[in-house]
Amino acid sequence: MSETVNLATVKVGDEAPVLTHTLTRTDLVRYAGASGDYNPMHHDEPKAIAAKQPSVFGHGMLSMGIVGTALTHFVGVGTLQTFSVRFARQTWPGETLSTKIVVTAIEDGVVTFDVRLHNDAGEEKVLGQATARLGA
Amino acid sequence: MDEATRTAFIGTEIGRTTVVVERSAVSFFAQAVLDDDPIYNDGTVATAQGFAGIPVPPTFPFVMQNWGAYRELQPADGNGTGLAQVLGALMANGGLILHGEQAFAYHQPIVTGQTLTGVTVLRDIYVKESKGTTMTFVVSETTWSDEAGTPMATATFNIIHRI
Repeated sequence: MSETVNLATVKVGDEAPVLTHTLTRTDLVRYAGASGDYNPMHHDEPKAIAAKQPSVFGHGMLSMGIVGTALTHFVGVGTLQTFSVRFARQTWPGETLSTKIVVTAIEDGVVTFDVRLHNDAGEEKVLGQATARLGA
Repeated sequence: MDEATRTAFIGTEIGRTTVVVERSAVSFFAQAVLDDDPIYNDGTVATAQGFAGIPVPPTFPFVMQNWGAYRELQPADGNGTGLAQVLGALMANGGLILHGEQAFAYHQPIVTGQTLTGVTVLRDIYVKESKGTTMTFVVSETTWSDEAGTPMATATFNIIHRI
């Protein structure tokens, strides 16, 4: 694992290492199984097309989960205090998704982050905030 | 759903589930959110970092009720169908349900081997009309506590029904 950030050196404006991933239908099937979310919009292409979608699309919680992975790798397991997002857009197989996690405040040992997931065109998929209580 | 029916749900408990946090579920979930941290797959790594079991990824509490919710564990007064009733009433005339927002607050580390009970309360339900579309916002909050009643995590689920 990469080194996690610590309170002694963290600064407003610091960014977490970017996690980038090109989404596949297999990712959606794996997330469906691991989460227990079998909404057919995420794995059944004929049903998704019948519902006027161009293809199956990713679970919003998979997007949040990918952001959570990048965030945890940066702050360390067990340090998060809060993590919240708004789901702005669907994700599609073939899209390359990247995390963007920026330190926005540091107060009383608690670090606040702006968190996002976007595609190569800069379209934001999820955006939100997290706070973590970091070690010294 | 009329306003009186909606208002009657606010502040009420709409679900209660007891689950066992299991190692294979956590390991599989970590893979699904692209997390290769060995802590999710190696008990010695978790122990070395001071955890009493294998910890869970930050969004795992959202899916806990789908794993290890064995029948004999469920409270006698259990009712896991409250949210389904609300959504069923909304979907009676069709429409689309979207996940609008999701939030977590972490109180204590959740680790494998724990038995946790999640109590879901309907926090809010309100309607907005816009350009001929009716949007109903439903906010529910689930707090997961251990067997001693210590809160471990709170998950807030905001959904939007659009018709």
